[in-house]
Amino acid sequence: MATNKNSNGFRRNDGNNADANGKDLKVVGKPFRKVDARAKCTGQTKFADDIVLPRMLYAKLLRSHEPHAIIKSIDTSKAEALPGVLAVITGKDLPIPYGILPVSQDEHPLCVDRVRFIGDPVAAVAAIDEDTAFEAMNLIEVEYEKLQTITSIEEAVLIDEPRIHDYGEGGNVHKSVHLEFGDLDEGFAQADLVREDVFFYEGNTHLPMEQHAAVAHYDSDDKLTLWTSTQTPHYVHRALAKTLGMRAAHIRVIATPNGGGFGGKSDPFNHEIVVCELSRRTRRPVKVTLTREEVFYCHRGRHPVLMKIKTGVKKDGAITAMDFESFLDGGAYGSYGVASTFYTGALQTVTYDVPRYRFKGLRAFTNKPPCGPKRGHGTPQPRFGLEVQLDKLAEELKLDPAEMRLKHLAPPNSVTANYLRIGSMGLGKCIEKVVKGSDWKNKHRKLPFGKGVGLACSSYICGAGLPIYWNNMPHSGVQLALDRQGGVRIQCGSIDIGQGSDSILAYIVAEVLGIDPFDIRVLTADTDLTPVDLGSYSSRVTLMTGNAALQAAERARELLSIAVAEKLCTPVENLSFADRRVFDVENPETGVTFAEAVVLAESKFGTIGTVGSYTPPRSPGKFKGAGVGPSPAYSYSAAIAEVDVDAETGFVTVERVWIGHDIGRSINPMLVMGQVEGGVYMGLGEALMEEMIYRANRNAVHKFPSMLEYKSPTTLEMCDVLTYLVEDADPNGPFGAKEVGQGPLLPVMPAVANAVYDAVGVRVDEVPITPEKVLAALRAKARGKEARFGPTGVPAVEWPDALKVLTPAEGGDGKEMPRVAVHS
Amino acid sequence: MRAYLPGYELVVPRDLAEALALLRDEPGAWKPFAGGTDLMVLFEAGRLAHRKFFSILQLPELRGVEETSEHVTLGALTTYTEVQRHATLRREFPMLCRAARETGGVAIQNRGTLGGNIANASPAADSPPALLAYDAQLELISAAGSRWVAYGDFHTGYKQTVMRPDELVARIRCPRPSTNAKQYARKVGTRRAQAISKICFAGLAEMFDGRVAEIRLAFGSVAPTVVRCRRTEAVLSGQKIDAATIRAARSELAVEIAPIDDVRSTAGYRLRVALNVLEEFLSRLAANE
Repeated sequence: MATNKNSNGFRRNDGNNADANGKDLKVVGKPFRKVDARAKCTGQTKFADDIVLPRMLYAKLLRSHEPHAIIKSIDTSKAEALPGVLAVITGKDLPIPYGILPVSQDEHPLCVDRVRFIGDPVAAVAAIDEDTAFEAMNLIEVEYEKLQTITSIEEAVLIDEPRIHDYGEGGNVHKSVHLEFGDLDEGFAQADLVREDVFFYEGNTHLPMEQHAAVAHYDSDDKLTLWTSTQTPHYVHRALAKTLGMRAAHIRVIATPNGGGFGGKSDPFNHEIVVCELSRRTRRPVKVTLTREEVFYCHRGRHPVLMKIKTGVKKDGAITAMDFESFLDGGAYGSYGVASTFYTGALQTVTYDVPRYRFKGLRAFTNKPPCGPKRGHGTPQPRFGLEVQLDKLAEELKLDPAEMRLKHLAPPNSVTANYLRIGSMGLGKCIEKVVKGSDWKNKHRKLPFGKGVGLACSSYICGAGLPIYWNNMPHSGVQLALDRQGGVRIQCGSIDIGQGSDSILAYIVAEVLGIDPFDIRVLTADTDLTPVDLGSYSSRVTLMTGNAALQAAERARELLSIAVAEKLCTPVENLSFADRRVFDVENPETGVTFAEAVVLAESKFGTIGTVGSYTPPRSPGKFKGAGVGPSPAYSYSAAIAEVDVDAETGFVTVERVWIGHDIGRSINPMLVMGQVEGGVYMGLGEALMEEMIYRANRNAVHKFPSMLEYKSPTTLEMCDVLTYLVEDADPNGPFGAKEVGQGPLLPVMPAVANAVYDAVGVRVDEVPITPEKVLAALRAKARGKEARFGPTGVPAVEWPDALKVLTPAEGGDGKEMPRVAVHS
Repeated sequence: MRAYLPGYELVVPRDLAEALALLRDEPGAWKPFAGGTDLMVLFEAGRLAHRKFFSILQLPELRGVEETSEHVTLGALTTYTEVQRHATLRREFPMLCRAARETGGVAIQNRGTLGGNIANASPAADSPPALLAYDAQLELISAAGSRWVAYGDFHTGYKQTVMRPDELVARIRCPRPSTNAKQYARKVGTRRAQAISKICFAGLAEMFDGRVAEIRLAFGSVAPTVVRCRRTEAVLSGQKIDAATIRAARSELAVEIAPIDDVRSTAGYRLRVALNVLEEFLSRLAANE
């Protein structure tokens, strides 16, 4: 087996490259370069901060240095008097709240009466240059009245007053949920072994290379254009219309190419709204580029999550019941937090058969930067706990952890206890590949002290089944325009954040129309010019825009086929589209060029344009809370990490990762491999070093909001990665494709934790696994204490009554069971 | 929160005399700027009071590596990259080369200088423990003349040194270690590059007849300054290295250093790793590795 990660090629499971009808594929499955690769590699791509417009002003936001306080007064007079300053605004100028979720409209572009974390913006200035804006910002005087600061989950559930927000579940609890699927007591009674474990997953942040930036231009026709580095132009469009009180039709949002998103640019942001308002007031273009420090405070990254997991298993490792509790430290605002809370309890059931399942989840407000979605959104934390607990269960049962997992996989084409519909399911093949590739059987529990291997698996959604706001419209739309000279233009609202979504559109349309992907003009993420796509989040883009593009392209091919068949006097079904030609398969010389085909079609039908759209299938779950978790398809990953642990310093070196990923089908295997390796890289950072932590003096100041001390792996920490792609086409994916942007991150952290245990016999039940924690656990072990570092308990809270749903196996219909009135 | 630099003045003196005259005429006002790898970070973060800088990177008097039979003398402007590439240093001063290799990343190694690392006086700097173990001496120069000080006496407190405001570090002189000397250095950071140390160690010893004839132990990031651990050295001096000696040395070191909690690690971790690293060095000495 090749050990060089760059030369191991693309491993295919099925060994062929044909579509569902057996037709050979010319573009799909081939490692084409990205359509935007050359501009990116040569520095020609124009990011938001590269935009310079005539008469452009620069904006700065004054941010609170108090973590929790009432704004007594704001004096902007000195800033306004500074030469070169054209506008100064405060919260009262933008009083309408917003937020990504309809249930959490709890943010203001500038704080109105209260600040909730260090970094919350209270005023903004527009000036002729950045230095003047900065100087003016520092001339604004704000008088605060301090409030008690709430800095942790434990404090938030204990301290009811002051409340950080006046909505939620009371006190400082933002959301609490309690779902029960099946009879848990019966499940635990059937178990031969029940384990209860507590885990903690520290928060971390996205660390995109590009800081957020935006340029707004409110023009003389009262039309507003915003160029911004965002993953969700459609949602930004909606937030602007709401907060600015403008007709959406007068607003155009253009998402600029993203220099990294990872979930950190998925919310509408205050700076985006602020530059629009400053432009409206000054009638000049206004730019803002956040500093790296501001990016740390904007955050919306991984929630810190404390978890308690109780799992019952039979002697052979079959799970009989699982009771999962999670506590999320949400930070100061709602953001995606309600969805994040549900995600910490949703996907436990799609990897292994879990016949009975209970989930209790609580999200707390704290005076820290708000948390939100980061790659894997709400699922890496529970996956870490679950996979480490399975490793402990396997050891107690004296089972090989790989064998145990293989034996109890969730079946394909099934519905889980919590009503998630699984389609294709390639986890077994992923496990087999990495077990064989890593020589697991000869390594696990057999390597010398200090060396170890660990295995973990995971699954992720291929797009959220429901949109952020309730509607019955498609999640993704594509328009195709065919030019009589053979040009093809794709228009779609999706935004390429580096994952290659523009390229995927081109590959799919090129495949269907038999042309070269580089003949196609891809126009995306412009709300004036492109139909809505909900955005680059939840690993939805390849599946949803891909299906929409496929539909639009097939409709265009149909029009062309009719016209060409007429001209060639050939039956339509005999026509093939390939090599920029449309021809008779029985007589390939008989045909026309693609451009001639468009001319024939345009002559017959008029201007040729088609549309395609995609709406995910309805989920079988009908209970309240069933909206988070359903997806058209689930990707699967299995990883084995091999580590070296230095017992002298506690330093963990990950030497190699073998990872199998069930991609359904690779639209472009090179991009898939890139995403897998990128996921492993980000996973190593989360596993070993990255953490968003705050000074403990109750001021909730970030300890190190800079790339100097917020440590993320360098090239020296990046290990060899051996990737195995499992291709088992999913019926819901375009050409069978599933996601890869997020899933492969998930197994890395638990695989490393399990490998550390294999190496030195200590459990670090907490992420990141730092040298300090490893050494502390080793010391505990040497002193005869439990060989473990991690949390010991969870707060005692009163959970709401369980919403009970019978499982499919119990004959449930996906609806909540009627609550039985108790008579006393 | 700023992506903004305050106004500043940067002058380029024609020669060393002109540079020293700046320091003499306005003591404390001018900050010498060599590689700038520390200054640029602090300046951008708004944590540098100075607004007047003069470049010294172009001064040939502060460059070069000279060798005599007794010493190797490095100009203060010797970069980490130059240290790593110098044949004699690689052969005889491997701990210094290792420190240079583990400082920052390639870009920092190309610009950062040994003199700057010393003058910046950070307790977490990478090259000072090695220089302490090599018993280095520093030449400090000013318009008034030059003086040599033992590097072991250079630091007086957190970021405090015996250097006067009108002085520059000119040269670093290290006695060439005996070929019998055993050397062991270890840096522990969060990652293998671009990481300021959690803890940093350099040890040099000569054994004679199974006993410690000479030993020098130095740590970074365990006290307000980089420290030479003379009391622990005294415990070891003249001793055979066995389990009892190692225990005694660990006990002495535990009271001789005073690590703290900070953004990079905890006091407890630093103490434990310092003891473990010392033990590793002593075990290697005992095993004659």
